[in-house]
Amino acid sequence: MTKPLALIIEDDPQLSTIVSITLQADFEIETCTDGNAGLERLAQTIPNVVILDLNLPGASGRKILQSIRADQRLAKTRVILTTADERQAEFLRDEADITLLKPVSPAQLRELAKRLRTK
Amino acid sequence: MTYQFTANMIPLVVAALISGTLAWYTWQHRHTTGARPFVWLMAILFQWGTSYILQLAATDITTKKFWADFMFIGVVATPVAWLAFALEYTGHKTWMTRTRLILLLILPLVTMSIILTNDYHKLFRANETLAREGGYLLLKTTNGPWFWVHAAYTYILIMIGLVLIIRALLRWPAAYRGQMIWILLATLAPLIANVITIFQLLPIIIDLTPFAFTVTGVGMVYALFRHRLLDIAPLARDLVIDGMKDGMIVLDANRRIVDINPAAQNILGLSDKQQPIGKLMAEVLYQWPDLINRYRDIFEAADEITLGENEAQRWYELTLSTLRDENQLMIGQVITIRDITQRKYAENLMQESEARFRQIVENASDIIYRLDNTGHLTYANPAALHAMGYEKEEDALGKYYLDLTTPEARNKLKRTYEHQFLSKTKNTYHEFPGVATDGREVWFGQNVQLIFDGDQVVGFQALARDITAIKQAYEALRIARDQALEASRAKSQLLSKVSHELRTPLGGILGYAELLHDNTFGELNTGQKKAAHEIMESGNYLTGMVNELLDEAQIHANTTVLQESPFSPAMLLKQSTSGTEVLASKKGLKLITSLDSNLPAELRGDEHRLRQIIINLVGNAIKFTKEGSVSVQFQNADDGYWAIQVTDTGMGIPKEAQAYIFEPFRQVDNAITRDNRGIGLGLSITKQLVDLMGGRITIESEIGKGSVFTILLPININK
Repeated sequence: MTKPLALIIEDDPQLSTIVSITLQADFEIETCTDGNAGLERLAQTIPNVVILDLNLPGASGRKILQSIRADQRLAKTRVILTTADERQAEFLRDEADITLLKPVSPAQLRELAKRLRTK
Repeated sequence: MTYQFTANMIPLVVAALISGTLAWYTWQHRHTTGARPFVWLMAILFQWGTSYILQLAATDITTKKFWADFMFIGVVATPVAWLAFALEYTGHKTWMTRTRLILLLILPLVTMSIILTNDYHKLFRANETLAREGGYLLLKTTNGPWFWVHAAYTYILIMIGLVLIIRALLRWPAAYRGQMIWILLATLAPLIANVITIFQLLPIIIDLTPFAFTVTGVGMVYALFRHRLLDIAPLARDLVIDGMKDGMIVLDANRRIVDINPAAQNILGLSDKQQPIGKLMAEVLYQWPDLINRYRDIFEAADEITLGENEAQRWYELTLSTLRDENQLMIGQVITIRDITQRKYAENLMQESEARFRQIVENASDIIYRLDNTGHLTYANPAALHAMGYEKEEDALGKYYLDLTTPEARNKLKRTYEHQFLSKTKNTYHEFPGVATDGREVWFGQNVQLIFDGDQVVGFQALARDITAIKQAYEALRIARDQALEASRAKSQLLSKVSHELRTPLGGILGYAELLHDNTFGELNTGQKKAAHEIMESGNYLTGMVNELLDEAQIHANTTVLQESPFSPAMLLKQSTSGTEVLASKKGLKLITSLDSNLPAELRGDEHRLRQIIINLVGNAIKFTKEGSVSVQFQNADDGYWAIQVTDTGMGIPKEAQAYIFEPFRQVDNAITRDNRGIGLGLSITKQLVDLMGGRITIESEIGKGSVFTILLPININK
């Protein structure tokens, strides 16, 4: 049985690495480092979970979130939004499945991602 | 039934016609005093006279008897009508009530019925025969006993009437003597005639009474309609002149008093005994020589005079007018004196009060001025003149209000006051810059009231103040406030930016430290594990610090505005604990939540801030609790409050620390251990937010047993 796919869209390489390491036990991992690349990847695959940074070069996290929600094909894709901006996070709280304020605890992220996958 | 008219009946016909005419004429003027009963009297006399003529003219005894009987209707009614007339003419009108009139008519009615039945008993007339005498065919009768009863009754009533009239006549002033004689003669005529007829004192064979009454009628009419000096019945003159509150004195050409009414006597202090009529005015007024001198050679005057001294002093309005004949010769003077003391007092009071208010207005430090309804200055108090730089009131009066303001302010000011004028708004407040005569700009704050005359707006009245200094102070304050706000905003923006930028690298530090600590990169030895833990602790501390600093900055910049909206307490409880549940279970703690079923399904408030508060409290509770549980309860409290209660089984907070635990950057000193090093900002932020929401936060804690944080919030149900 293949592992579910987690797409990590995060411009900070360190954080991207940390999230990859955190989730690699439970997910197949793909990473993008800017918004446009993320949108392209989303057009090709259907990830189970997207770990989405809000503040991205290229297309913003908000735009990506909206395009996921508008896409029937991605209806089952869960989104965990990570951001350093509390107000933005609050704004998109209802759009995303889970919103986490940076810094994100790997243990907490792993636990939440696992729950989302099994839902 | 034949009649024979002879020339010697002509005087009778004339008399009847005169009384008939008088009845008709007086009827046209029936509103004059005494006119109504006079109409009756004349009408009855007309009936009497006419019947008498027909009786004389009839040639057979039956016809004569018929007219003789018919004539008596007038004869018996005459004394009653006469008495009624006399009563009304002399001012005793009210005496003649309906009942009294009926009583007075009883005897005439009895007489009339006796006359009609005379053939059976001859009580009234006996021995009726026809005889031709002196050109008349007469019905000769002898008077029966009842005739004398009738005659006596008639005389009594006529005498009463006469006495009334003569008595009234005697009370008239001398000026009416001519009229008096006329009336007296007129009144006495029927009596004389009747006496002559009954006792046959003159060799006249016909009854003179109707003639005589006609003479009375002519005399009365003359008195009523022709001979009136004051165009009112003489009696009415008495009532009016004597009843007047104003004094009235009539003087003749020699300034002798011809007439004086009681009010005038009273004013001049003349007793009833000092009969002033006939005396010289100067004689009567010897007490007031000034007055005499003053009016000696004056023919017309209208003055205010005072009589008496000090307490007893009274004010009078005196008018003097001269009566002249057709040749412009003075025939007399009329003086009226009206007591105006009360009015004078009122006027003086008004003047005093006016002076008082004027003094207040003139001495006021506030600007008081008035405009007419075209906007031109009609009054300005000294403060107003001073503010505008005018020396004298005359210089300012008549100025157009818009010319006194800066050109920029004019349009707005014009609109404001035109609107007030048209909408009849009673009071407005407006601030505007005016220009003083020296070009200085002066700010005014003014209340403007409309001045009404009935419904009409006749002007404006303004109470204003020079607010230039206040305006300047406000301006300075406004600039200072804007600068402070700007600085504060800049500070919080900087803090926000810094915090935001700090979070990203913290993610790297904490993330790697946690991964290391959890043996993601291979098994660590004890020292390594401890080091990773220390990094995590420091990173968490720093994260908390960043969060708190951001919140603190926001609150201090007053940029925290509560975003109130309806929310579900159940959802709030779920959402604010779902994230921290992971942290609790990681530490082996139970996170218990409970929701009071009495709590409304929907509340109003800032859900986001509430969630922050709960996450903060629960986070703290988890941080400071090694084992046991953390519970979050939503309860319905009393008095319109609901409560969020976070209970832990942690280390507890000492009593003395509970007092300052909500202050910024404070933490229980001995709580800083390697396990739970935290920062002190969380609770201070929480308290400030709770205060902002109109609630309060309390703590109960015991060392080693745990702590209970309770937040009470008002229940705002969405409306």
